[in-house]
Amino acid sequence: MGSVALDNANPTILNVSELPSHRQRRRQNDGSSNKDGIRDLLMSKPSYSLDPFYMSDFSDTDSDDSSVEPIDVHEIYDLIAPISDPEHPLSLASLGVVKLEDVHLTSPLDHSNPSALSRVLVELTPTVTHCSLATVIGLGVRVRLEQALPPSYRVEVKIKKDTHSQADDVNKQLADKERVAAALENANLIGLLRKMMKPCMEE
Amino acid sequence: MTSPTKLRILPLADFKPAASSRAWVSIPNPNNLPLLATATSDKTARVYSLKNFTLHSTLEGGHSRSVRSVAWKPAAGSNGVLSIATGSFDATMGIWRRSEEEASGGGVEVEISELGEEKDEEADWEFAIVLEGHDSEVKNVAYSPSGQWLASCSRDKSVWIWEDIGEEGDDEFETIAVLQEHEADVKFVCWRKDDGNGEVLASASYDETIRFWKGDDEGEWSQIALLKGHEGIVWCLDWEPEVSMKMFAVESDSMNEYIQQTPRLISSSSDCSIRIWSIAPAPPPPNRPSYFNTGIPSTMRPGPTNETWECTATLPKAHDLPIYSIRWSKKSGRVVSTGGDGKIVIYEETKKGRTSVGGEIEREWVIIGSIEGAHGPYEINHVAWCTRFDAGRKEEGEEMVISTGDDGAVRAWAIEDIVEKGDGAVDPDAMNGVLMARGAQVTGVIYRSGTGLKGHQKYQDLNDI
Repeated sequence: MGSVALDNANPTILNVSELPSHRQRRRQNDGSSNKDGIRDLLMSKPSYSLDPFYMSDFSDTDSDDSSVEPIDVHEIYDLIAPISDPEHPLSLASLGVVKLEDVHLTSPLDHSNPSALSRVLVELTPTVTHCSLATVIGLGVRVRLEQALPPSYRVEVKIKKDTHSQADDVNKQLADKERVAAALENANLIGLLRKMMKPCMEE
Repeated sequence: MTSPTKLRILPLADFKPAASSRAWVSIPNPNNLPLLATATSDKTARVYSLKNFTLHSTLEGGHSRSVRSVAWKPAAGSNGVLSIATGSFDATMGIWRRSEEEASGGGVEVEISELGEEKDEEADWEFAIVLEGHDSEVKNVAYSPSGQWLASCSRDKSVWIWEDIGEEGDDEFETIAVLQEHEADVKFVCWRKDDGNGEVLASASYDETIRFWKGDDEGEWSQIALLKGHEGIVWCLDWEPEVSMKMFAVESDSMNEYIQQTPRLISSSSDCSIRIWSIAPAPPPPNRPSYFNTGIPSTMRPGPTNETWECTATLPKAHDLPIYSIRWSKKSGRVVSTGGDGKIVIYEETKKGRTSVGGEIEREWVIIGSIEGAHGPYEINHVAWCTRFDAGRKEEGEEMVISTGDDGAVRAWAIEDIVEKGDGAVDPDAMNGVLMARGAQVTGVIYRSGTGLKGHQKYQDLNDI
């Protein structure tokens, strides 16, 4: 994006040590965490012969095993916090675009039903109200979560109320499954998403 | 007062092999051939046999991105040539033909019954022609019932009407109209059967409207109706079948009354509603004194008559995520719906009785069957009514439901009426089927980045994904 004038040349940056992180906990509980899903998408590796749940960072094949904790908002936050801003080499968390308190999760009461849906809502706070990259950032967050979470999670990404001049328009695009699917077949957008996701793969 | 039927939706079969990535739609052949065409994100379309639920052939090599939609050309001649149109995210459409040498002789029926033997499955569909013109993703393609027109719609906000002008097999298409009134992506197009005044096209859009289009005597196409009411993307449309139009005409004095009626339209949306639209009665002709009629013929040719439509019913709410697909059964008049919540729901319109003697029969839509998690945890993109051809069918013409999902699976569902016992209690065993959700023994959804992109794919503005 070097040729494009920055929307916000001097964003406020939060101190990394002040950011919430709960990554360690899941690591200890679940050593099988699979980071290959997003990498496959972004590196265009052929992926046909892989495990059907290869995209999940969390396997839900044993979801009725009571020893496995259900996914919580902290873990969802940790999945998207390191995503890099398309204009700045900074994470969405350090720019305050992604905030823990704006990650919402509604889980089904019955965890034993593999078809019961969980709903995730992430509200983003753009650094400036006219940020032209809000849609791409939202796309990155939606794609990251859809690929990392089990398929029973329905992800909704919205711009937080009163933080963007075209929030309704951005929200409607991000909710359109067909547009999101087509975006993931677009080389320009894939290139940009790959750049944004890089920190997620370097953990 | 008719008491509503209750149905069970029972798993019948999965079409094999399933696609390994998202499948978008599955369309049964309209000419009573036992074939189903499925559009998938792996850039191919598949043709499955409805006799044994297995892959018959694959249409590949024609598109560089997801195949989003497929349409069978209604059989025009008797030469046995099969033709399929595909619409792709690569902004092009493909016309595929089953080559005549192979189609002749035994014909499709025979080949299908011999499936599994040493037939060359790759060679029988020819990518006959590519139709270019749209600026971005083609979302849907639809042949008119007569087979004369092919409509397409796109992310580029336009609806195109094409005419197949060649003799069968000549592969000549002409652009008849480019209709650009929609203010955003056009998601769906659907033809109304010719009522004597020509075929009418309906289109549904991201702009939350539905529009109707019609050609005049000189072949000029224009918008003849604008339907507003949905509060979200309109994903799918279907026209009322004759069986439904007749159902409520039977009790009127004239058995033929339905023929003059205009079919209703059904629509589904991201707003989680399903609406029924009806044409408003035409205003009476102006009652002018006869001296206004000078007898001088007007040189102004009247355009197609504009139609006024209004939302006349809303189906009971059953979905809490976008409703991607609805179909109105030509056999039973029932409606089936599905969407992001993974449910399949079946509705029936029933008679509530008359409010007054001789008054209009009041109707009511009720849910008569539903199943949750029909593709495990995955979203379902499409649902269709389809005639059964498999050995297990109970009778000729028996209907099933076909669902198509993000897991790449295409599933067949048998529909069974729940028989009430003498005491009126519903057989508890029967209810188990209704509530049973299938396990998640499904392949993963695979997103792949595009390769071999078309030169004219444009994304100047990243504000628009």
